[in-house]
Amino acid sequence: MRPTLIVGSGPVLFTVGPESPRPAGPFPLDPDPRVAAVRYEAMDTSDVPTRFLTALESVPPASRLLASPKQLAAAIERLTHRTVGEPTLEELRRGRAALPLPDPALERRFFLALAHFRLERALRAPEEVLITLAREEERVERSVGREARAADSFVSVPDSPLDRHLAAWGKARGALGELEEVLRRTLESEAKIRVPNLASVVGPRVAARLVAAAGGISELARMPAPRIQLLGSRRRPSPERGPRFGVLYRADRMADVPIGRRGAYARSLAALAAIAIRADAHTQRDLAAGLVARRDRRVEQLRRRRS
Amino acid sequence: MRPGRSFRPSDASPRLLAAARGDREELWTVTVGDPPPVYGERWTEVEDRRCRLFEPGRSKLAAAVVRGWTGDLPSEGERWLYLGAASGTTASHVADLLGPDGRLYAVERSVRPFARLLALAERWPNLRPILSDARDPLGYASLVPPVEGVYCDIAQADQLEILARNAELFLRGEGARVLIALKTASMGRHRSASGHRAAAESFLSEEYALYPSVPLEPFHRGHFLVGGRWGRATRLRAGGENRPTPRGRRPGRRGP
Repeated sequence: MRPTLIVGSGPVLFTVGPESPRPAGPFPLDPDPRVAAVRYEAMDTSDVPTRFLTALESVPPASRLLASPKQLAAAIERLTHRTVGEPTLEELRRGRAALPLPDPALERRFFLALAHFRLERALRAPEEVLITLAREEERVERSVGREARAADSFVSVPDSPLDRHLAAWGKARGALGELEEVLRRTLESEAKIRVPNLASVVGPRVAARLVAAAGGISELARMPAPRIQLLGSRRRPSPERGPRFGVLYRADRMADVPIGRRGAYARSLAALAAIAIRADAHTQRDLAAGLVARRDRRVEQLRRRRS
Repeated sequence: MRPGRSFRPSDASPRLLAAARGDREELWTVTVGDPPPVYGERWTEVEDRRCRLFEPGRSKLAAAVVRGWTGDLPSEGERWLYLGAASGTTASHVADLLGPDGRLYAVERSVRPFARLLALAERWPNLRPILSDARDPLGYASLVPPVEGVYCDIAQADQLEILARNAELFLRGEGARVLIALKTASMGRHRSASGHRAAAESFLSEEYALYPSVPLEPFHRGHFLVGGRWGRATRLRAGGENRPTPRGRRPGRRGP
């Protein structure tokens, strides 16, 4: 027996099944497209339209139910106490082809509302906040440096418009420096909360930059150590003479290592960072003390050896 | 508009205009959106229609047209699915080609580019942005109706599989099209760029009657535009199941 397919078409639901020649519906999630978008996304049992449930009762118990999207299938399963499967690509394609096209104006408002909803939720995710902060901190740091260099090479004449400009400029640079300070503190505390192990191994700022360069905590956790080592490097990797570090160059204790040994340190540090981020992403165990001890031992080792 | 510049509809589409400028030809799309410019492109007005410069250096689709693409472009009134819309540089032009009665369903999974795509969609009445991963078409299957074509611009190693999966689910039926801006640099170093192109062609020719593909040099290094029409009938006429058609004699309609 052919299954009954329950399928959403944007803000409205339909059933396509052997009971009727034409799809039954539309059953709007809500007359207001913005409310419909939120319902579409959440799809709790209370979000399924009552009229739609009444229509579902006419589906014979022997008939198989398939529903798409997934959250709809789950909601209907809970409401009807029947098993609701997932359609195959081909079943879904044929089901969708039978449906009438949505009203353009309604569809547009639904799509925009849904996009805004998803975007805001994605941006609110703690990891996205960390990434944005890391990028902002990097950008502000660059402009602070640029302004400072420009100020260094600026030649002024006492008691002239140039001098007044320099004074005003100094104030502006001071404000920018304060902004950087505040931003850095926010970033560091955020990194210590989200990726505590990584933050203690490489330092909170570098930890945040690594996450930003990888595109997320779980993305970084999936990377092998050699890729972490080169994250953020601009040169092209090559077997002969590639880059040895990217973001990691600014890591904690890098400055304590003799210049000729920094590549080796970056390699070891990347291996420790890989362990640390995996703990942060998955087990949430506190490995910081052990990893930091291993890191510091490595630094001492590299300092003793001649470069 | 400068005096003396003459705009004429291109062979490919009435919404794509060509204008001679010096010894080169510029492409313009008749826009459906409102100013300001999306990515700093030039706007002009031609016979009361607003047009936007479609630059081959910015958009792979424009580069393909400049390089002599003879296959069908997205045309007026059609519904298309766009995978990997990013911030909407090319997507806005594809939406222009589809015109006010067409629809462009644009999928993008990265948050920051999507924010810009959404801002664009507020001004482009026929653009429908979707924040989703194109690897999982079932995730937006209930948002996108059957479409006339799928355009894929994803720099991922499995870009062809992503395209195929989406096409299988969303294409309207026989005769519907796929286009892919193939980025060979993200497909591994085990093959050369042209090797990747040949592999992509043979992969797609199992299901599609291919248009002659074009390299996008010098605008986009290591990129090709490959595409075709879905159809078993044409495929059989091409002679043989699963056998790539010899180059130069590909069965694809030339021009619209």
